[in-house]
Amino acid sequence: MKHTHKNILNPALLSLLLSAAVPVQAATINKTFCVSQTSKSLSGQSVTFWGYSDCGGGGMGGGGMGGMGSATIPGPLIEIGAGDTLNLSLNVGMMTPQEPSPYNGHTIHLHGADVMTSEDGTPETNGNVVNGDTYTWAPLANEAGSYPYHCHVHTVKHLEMGMYGAVVVRPRDAAGAFMKRITANAATAYDYEQVYVLSTVDPAYHTATMDSTVFGDYNAKYFLIGGKEGKTTSAPAMTLAAAKSKKAAFRLIGMHSTNATFGIKDSAGNLKPFTVYVEDGRALPTARTATSVDLSPGQRADLIVTLPSTTGTWYPQVTYKNLRDGGPLGTVFGKVTF
Amino acid sequence: MKRFLMLGLLCWAELISAGAYAATQNFTLYIDAGTLTINGAGGTVIDVLSFSDGGMAMTSVPGPALSVSEGDAVNVTVVNRHTASHNFVVSGVSTDATAIAAGASRTYSFSAPAAGAYVYADTLNNNINREMGLYGALLVRPAGGGNTAWTGGPAYDFERLWVMGEMDKPRWNDMVAAGGTVNTSIYKPNYFTMNGLGGFDAMMDMGVMLHGAVGQTALVHIVNGGQFAHALHFHANHFKVIAINGVRQSEPFQERDTFSVPPFSTAEVLYTLNKPGDYPMHVHTAQMETANGVYLNGAATMIMAQ
Repeated sequence: MKHTHKNILNPALLSLLLSAAVPVQAATINKTFCVSQTSKSLSGQSVTFWGYSDCGGGGMGGGGMGGMGSATIPGPLIEIGAGDTLNLSLNVGMMTPQEPSPYNGHTIHLHGADVMTSEDGTPETNGNVVNGDTYTWAPLANEAGSYPYHCHVHTVKHLEMGMYGAVVVRPRDAAGAFMKRITANAATAYDYEQVYVLSTVDPAYHTATMDSTVFGDYNAKYFLIGGKEGKTTSAPAMTLAAAKSKKAAFRLIGMHSTNATFGIKDSAGNLKPFTVYVEDGRALPTARTATSVDLSPGQRADLIVTLPSTTGTWYPQVTYKNLRDGGPLGTVFGKVTF
Repeated sequence: MKRFLMLGLLCWAELISAGAYAATQNFTLYIDAGTLTINGAGGTVIDVLSFSDGGMAMTSVPGPALSVSEGDAVNVTVVNRHTASHNFVVSGVSTDATAIAAGASRTYSFSAPAAGAYVYADTLNNNINREMGLYGALLVRPAGGGNTAWTGGPAYDFERLWVMGEMDKPRWNDMVAAGGTVNTSIYKPNYFTMNGLGGFDAMMDMGVMLHGAVGQTALVHIVNGGQFAHALHFHANHFKVIAINGVRQSEPFQERDTFSVPPFSTAEVLYTLNKPGDYPMHVHTAQMETANGVYLNGAATMIMAQ
């Protein structure tokens, strides 16, 4: 529902007020997504997914039939500037994989974006349709950080099916370029960046449809970062080749349905401290230095670690935990060499 | 206006108070077996145990909200009308966990702690009694009264109490009702509630929903009586986390859009209605959005601002 409503607070004006010293060059970013089916081999088992793909390029007009493009899990990374306007269109057509009514169609919910009802992608509320729409969001200058997007139709299934991805809201410099900072604050500058989308998979949810008792009992069986299992340090889900003494930012985005704890260990297994600057797209009043950060479903953390001055390998990792007593369910490893 | 909004809170359950400025607060709670009905698609009738104020309903999941002021001497007399032993403990507040035999009663006494939300429960029987519905909230008001979270603390226009819970009907409630033995190592709750309501009811219950005028701020007391962590996600705008388990957070408060309240603990948030429209608030965890798998009849309510 493009531009039918605007934020009550004028975002452009607020951006100027909040960063008066830095003229912000706001951009309008238009994207078009489609939904298609794909499959992944997880621990040797084939699991069917639905995912988003960017189908707006190349003069294809976004594919009027829907169902075009090749989905990725997670979906495409969306990068926008604080103060920019994102117009994110979703194509839903006859070929789009979906459930029967009342759970037909799809939406994109920009999770954590403070938008009007009509841009919220929640089909149960007024102004949201499931047969294709445009979602507009103009994050304010103080809203830099990481966000998820996901389908909000029959969320218990559609999110689990893989219909999620990340939005990174970046500060822009005076020339309008994205800054390598988490926020406009110079203390949040980094050299490298890793986006870790956390998710879990219960394969039973991928075959069940409609109002099934399957959806009343979640049994996470596969554990992912960025759509990959990364079950050992020798087969990590994410890798980063960095230089010594540099700073690496991690953007943790919780699309899982268990609890989770992130930490970074060196090759001897010692936890390394990092500093969390932003959680849920809002700067912490005081940056928090820690050796672990917990993420519930829906939460995010943006943090920076300083790599040591000697060559080595560290293993950022997420341990997924059950909701009852926090007992570990599985650990997914990343890898940073320097 | 403030009094009117307070009445809104009174509507949702039997909030009982012995007087705002009394130094001694006496309550009587009755333990009975009964049933809890989850309405709407996927709903059911669940055998429960509960604390109630002894009124007509006989059962009340969650139990009554006990409202007191900081420093009050609180006496809670629990009358056990059930056939097994029970107790009454306010987590982190009261220390007497003595069991009450079937048919007996006991008075538990404690001093009201700092203003905030606390959770009470029957802590006996390896969590089975709490899972069956024997839990509720203690709300402690600032000594001087007024619409602030604590004396000199952040102000609010209206408040809500959300007591979160969940039940594993087939493996726990049905088993207890049949006189069997619960295997407590397996807990797969299939019903998720706010103030004892599934989403079908809670999404239109005026005592649960955040409804008001744009610009109004709600103080939401979130009390988790369950055994699962509840990750509450608010649409429309962020909120400030002001207290966790009654412990005040330092200012400026951190802003979040999702906050996880661990089992048997509490959190308090300030949510300002900053734009008009209707938005959901729901637990962001797969099965917790459902009633036995039926979508949106789980832990969910609505935010409505005009």
